[in-house]
Amino acid sequence: MNALTLNNITKTFNDFTAVDMLSLDVPEGSIYGFIGPNGSGKTTTIRMIMNILHPDTGDIQILGSPRASIDNDLVGYLPEERGLYKKMKIRELLQFYGQLKTGHSVLTDVDFWLDKLDLTEWASKKVEALSKGMSQKVQFIATVVSHPKLVILDEPFSGLDPVNTDVLLQAMLELQKNGSTVIFSTHDMATAEKVCDYVFMIHKGKKVLDGTLHEIQDKYGSDTLRIRCENKTSGLDRIAGVDKVHDFGQSQELRISPGSDPQDILKKLMEDNTVLSFELMKPSLHDIFVRIAGAEEVDHV
Amino acid sequence: MYKVIRLALREYYAAVRTKGFIIGLIMLPVFMSGSIIAMALLKDHVDIRERHIVVVDEAGQFSEMLQEAASIRNTQHIFDEEDSSQVKPVYHIEFVEVDTANIFVQLGALSDRVREGEIHAILHIGSSIVHPGEDPSNAFVNYHAESAALDDIRGWLRDPINNHLRRLRLEYAGIDEADIPDLFHWSWVTAKGLLEVDDDGNVTDAGASNEIRAIAVPLVMMMLMFMMSMMGAMPQLSAVMEEKTQRIVEVILGSITPFQFMLGKILGGLAVALTSTFVYLGGGTAFMQWRGFEAYIPYDILPWFIVNLVILLFMLGALMTSLGSVANDAKDAQSLSFPAMFPMMIPMFIMMPVLKEPLSTFATVMSLIPPFTPMVMTLRMASPVTIPAWQPWAGLAGVIIFTLFVVWGGARIFRAAILMQGVPLKFSNIMRWMTKG
Repeated sequence: MNALTLNNITKTFNDFTAVDMLSLDVPEGSIYGFIGPNGSGKTTTIRMIMNILHPDTGDIQILGSPRASIDNDLVGYLPEERGLYKKMKIRELLQFYGQLKTGHSVLTDVDFWLDKLDLTEWASKKVEALSKGMSQKVQFIATVVSHPKLVILDEPFSGLDPVNTDVLLQAMLELQKNGSTVIFSTHDMATAEKVCDYVFMIHKGKKVLDGTLHEIQDKYGSDTLRIRCENKTSGLDRIAGVDKVHDFGQSQELRISPGSDPQDILKKLMEDNTVLSFELMKPSLHDIFVRIAGAEEVDHV
Repeated sequence: MYKVIRLALREYYAAVRTKGFIIGLIMLPVFMSGSIIAMALLKDHVDIRERHIVVVDEAGQFSEMLQEAASIRNTQHIFDEEDSSQVKPVYHIEFVEVDTANIFVQLGALSDRVREGEIHAILHIGSSIVHPGEDPSNAFVNYHAESAALDDIRGWLRDPINNHLRRLRLEYAGIDEADIPDLFHWSWVTAKGLLEVDDDGNVTDAGASNEIRAIAVPLVMMMLMFMMSMMGAMPQLSAVMEEKTQRIVEVILGSITPFQFMLGKILGGLAVALTSTFVYLGGGTAFMQWRGFEAYIPYDILPWFIVNLVILLFMLGALMTSLGSVANDAKDAQSLSFPAMFPMMIPMFIMMPVLKEPLSTFATVMSLIPPFTPMVMTLRMASPVTIPAWQPWAGLAGVIIFTLFVVWGGARIFRAAILMQGVPLKFSNIMRWMTKG
């Protein structure tokens, strides 16, 4: 069964179409990544899933039932902007959010999650005393403390350092292990590549990518070379068969034109330079994102 | 309903568990009754410096009398009865020769002496004061001082001058004052309520109707309603605005509907106001009983007071939360708070005319206009008159219907506006959200 089904949903604000005939199936128990540039319609889509906004057309199903008949109690939601009562103590706040969902005390779960995310010593502190990263973790606990079947996280990693990002990723995997479906939006393509079973990309309100990472990458084929050279790397874009160069400083990614032979490019590279590493690979999610959001190869998709 | 109550409880605890609430609960009545307390504390601390009053007597009849009256007062009526200490100032009466041809020049020069602090006041008596009919334009007694309207001396002068005028007129008529021993006995009109007649025809004498019953009781009820509205409903506007701008609303709306959210906020504010109300009513009742003023407690009005207060808070709460959802920042909230206070401010403005004539057409109509009904009807009911029995019920029905409309319209505005950021605050937008959702 799908945890979530969007069927041709559209949402307009005055003359602006934020989401345009969007359809999506999110399998139960999966981790689904929503990616897309700023203003592409991610948050509007999530707000419609949360029943905060209503689609103009189309319908939404959650766990096999129409959205209108499903209680929000089954869905945990972490909005893009953090919203916590600053004057409340953290444990009380989490108990309040949990009680709003479940109708009973969730203090045992609150303590479990505070311990898991290393916040126990902050339990009796007020929210206003927390750093941005800690607030983010508290907001995450507020989302999951009620054991929701479907967890929707809008930009959950913003403001987190790499250590806390990993802590949150582990927590998401544990939620999945316990049977929850996790949907999250992010601009961090590396994270999405690491944990997502499926990736969905929205651009200008329309779906432009949907599937597993391999399925998406397969659509583009192996058109990327990752190289590392000993000396300077200027002039790579002048090599025949190289369409585009992404210079990352220590390494470079070259996109090769359709029909070009990677071996010819290697030979040309070795004429001017000492090549330390050379790898033919599929494009990264980051690269695919940039290609689409940069309006370079939408037609290709 | 559980979610609404849970949210209302959070609002309630967030408000009443603060030091500010406790301090406000204690300080509010202290501030409100501050002037009365200050007057009571300072009543024995009057300025007892001597007062020099210069009399310009164009009638030429008052010099001896006024000096004698001042002398009697200075020797008999300015000392404390228990410890004989001086508690009031000595009055010195000084007469000047009248310069009839240049009377205004003379008064001007005397006024300068008052400004310099040399004398306290000028009493100017017109030439025709004894027989006003002969020349009414000169039948006056003027008291000139820096603060003449509030000066105690002006009040003191009234009796000696008027008694002397009567004596002079008796003399003129050739009547001996001794022949009419009660001539200067003044009678006062006592204010009393209506007599009560029970089913057996027994008549109970009316109690004295005084200012406390006629003014203080309605005034206190009105002020209590006003204070509770300020405490329970007004803060909702900025609270909702803050929760909107801090994005707390979006988190909460992940668990409950906008209407539940709005209802929770209103009920939370209502609970805060009712807590304060019961503290004040309980404390006030206990105090009045302790001090022997139980007769002034309007027990019969209290249920109506509570009902009207609850409806007023509900109506204002819906108004404030919906307007709070429209506001984008503190400036917007401030702009909206002024018109939102009309249901509280208009009754305050018309309070005195309504109290003076509670049965007038004006008072009746105002008390039946729904936004004003809770306060104005309570004011009329707390006054000593008996208003027609149907009017409180008609007012109640009207205000309930109006409140339901406000909640309905407010909820539509709230739902549409609560997640909108940066939309300009325009009346047309508010109306569109209310009519079209």
